[in-house]
Amino acid sequence: MTAFARRLAGKLAAGLVMVWVVVTFTFFLVHALPGKPGDVQYEQYIQSGMNAEQAAAKVKAIYGYTSHDSMLSQYGGYLGKLLHGDLGQSISYSGVPVSHLIWAALPWTVIPVLSGLLVSFLIGVTAGVVAAVRRSSRWGGLLTVSGSLFAGVPAFVLALLLLVVFHTEWNLLPDAGTSDIQYDPGWNLPYIGSVVQHAVLPVCAYALLSYGGWLLAMKSSVVSVLGDDFILASELRGIAPVTRARYIGRNAILPLFTVLALSFGVMFAGSFFIEDTFDYPGLGDLLLKSIGTRDYPVMAGAFLLITVSIIIANILADLCYTLIDPRVRR
Amino acid sequence: MAATATLAASVRSRRPALTAFRKAVTRKPGRIIGLAIIVFFILLAICGPWFYGRLAVDPNSLYAAPSAKHWLGTDFAGSDVLQEVVTGGRYVLATAALSALFTSLFGVTIGLVAGYQRGLTDSALMRLTDFVLTIPGLPLLIILSTVWNFGSPWKMGLVLGVTGWGGVARAVRSQALSLRERGFLEAARGLGLSRRHILLKEMLPNVAPYAAMQLMLSMIAFIGAEVGLFFLGLVPFSSTNWGVMLNQAVFSGGAMETPSALIYLLAPLVCILVLTLGIVLFLDAIDELFNPRLRERV
Repeated sequence: MTAFARRLAGKLAAGLVMVWVVVTFTFFLVHALPGKPGDVQYEQYIQSGMNAEQAAAKVKAIYGYTSHDSMLSQYGGYLGKLLHGDLGQSISYSGVPVSHLIWAALPWTVIPVLSGLLVSFLIGVTAGVVAAVRRSSRWGGLLTVSGSLFAGVPAFVLALLLLVVFHTEWNLLPDAGTSDIQYDPGWNLPYIGSVVQHAVLPVCAYALLSYGGWLLAMKSSVVSVLGDDFILASELRGIAPVTRARYIGRNAILPLFTVLALSFGVMFAGSFFIEDTFDYPGLGDLLLKSIGTRDYPVMAGAFLLITVSIIIANILADLCYTLIDPRVRR
Repeated sequence: MAATATLAASVRSRRPALTAFRKAVTRKPGRIIGLAIIVFFILLAICGPWFYGRLAVDPNSLYAAPSAKHWLGTDFAGSDVLQEVVTGGRYVLATAALSALFTSLFGVTIGLVAGYQRGLTDSALMRLTDFVLTIPGLPLLIILSTVWNFGSPWKMGLVLGVTGWGGVARAVRSQALSLRERGFLEAARGLGLSRRHILLKEMLPNVAPYAAMQLMLSMIAFIGAEVGLFFLGLVPFSSTNWGVMLNQAVFSGGAMETPSALIYLLAPLVCILVLTLGIVLFLDAIDELFNPRLRERV
């Protein structure tokens, strides 16, 4: 277990360094932005009749620093606020803390992503086993090609094609938003039904997006397990095919934990396109909208959160893998 | 007849790599189709705009249906859709090629040096690679687009290359690590050849095919990213390309609501889909060359 603890500590330290680098990068990025957004904001407050002190305090609430301080103390102020979970205030929604906006957007990204991940996991892994066992047949080959294709096709192509087929052509499902406006948000049946109806296409898009990764990983994993000695041994001892399939499945599914981390990255990247296409108010949409309105604190906050969650997902997936598969621990 | 056959045989035996490649490609019809698709798109990008030069905008036929004059109809401004697809393809492919160039420049160099030097250089370079791999590329590109207008093919290629070399570097390093232990490299070291000679003349030719495969894989992602950035409207439009077409069709052309505009939306989508399919089918052949384990047992 000490080896595991050491690995855990190493991973956590590397993750922390990574997070720190990303935070620093974000800080300097907002600084490098054309026209120094903090200064522009300050001038605007002065123009609107505030005295210098009030304006400085306002800018400090939004960005965590003003440009009158030295670079170092600006950086320190930014880090200090971040450590307290304060991401600053939004500009376009005046005075609203960025963290509130992010909390409001988070479920609209996380829930569809997780549902899509679950659906694609079930379908992709099953298809991967079939593709591995039947790899010399035509169907096996077709399944593999479908996996590579879906792993390669950009998210917006999938989202737009889904939209064309299920909205424009057949008009089965709604094209935008999270629910129809005539229902009151809350725990009532019509609203939830409408939310589910609106979530079908985004979830399908996420599922198609990660289906290929699962299929390909499961296929290559099963192929390598099929060549292992213990499979041959169990075959020779006449163990029932069902039991043997369980042996194969148990051993082949372990490396898929690394795919989980990869999938998270792919899904978050895809969320920009999927949320933009379906006009879905998640994190990706928040970041894109904040770029459109030049709402820098929101932009920096959403970027930080997305990056940090991908780093954490990577660490978690790696640790789970070590925990589950004793062979990696050595 | 017999003479040409023996000649062909002797040529074939002299170039075993080429023969193996040809065999792998022709083994399955899908792989030939894949290669044909890739060649078709490359020809389209190079020669297409010559034949399909500047077709005047036809303001009298907005959203015209496909006809003899406009094979794929026209868009919301009366431009010919086929023409836009062809000229837009040049941008997409040129950028993909340039980003592959930059990726191989960074990825292959770093992978080779790390795999050959080992020790401290290796761990330092691999830390850097891990970092590049962990930072999610697309959000970074989206953020960068606020600071820098990287719309031209060279700049876009550079940005994609700088953010996307991690996978290639790691793959090349693992190849370099195993190459390092082979006899001919031991001999080269024993002969006292310079490190530059060993890296460029001995190792590079051996990792090149594998690196090319990795590059094609990342090119699929690059095409998605560049077209995607234009689709999201984050990079200012300087010339037409598939991403610009998609953006205008979805966000200003109303292609989702007007059936006559649908073909304008579908044309670039189908292009991306078919091009991806072509690369995927072709990669299957290259994959088999390097992964004998995947070869079917007959």
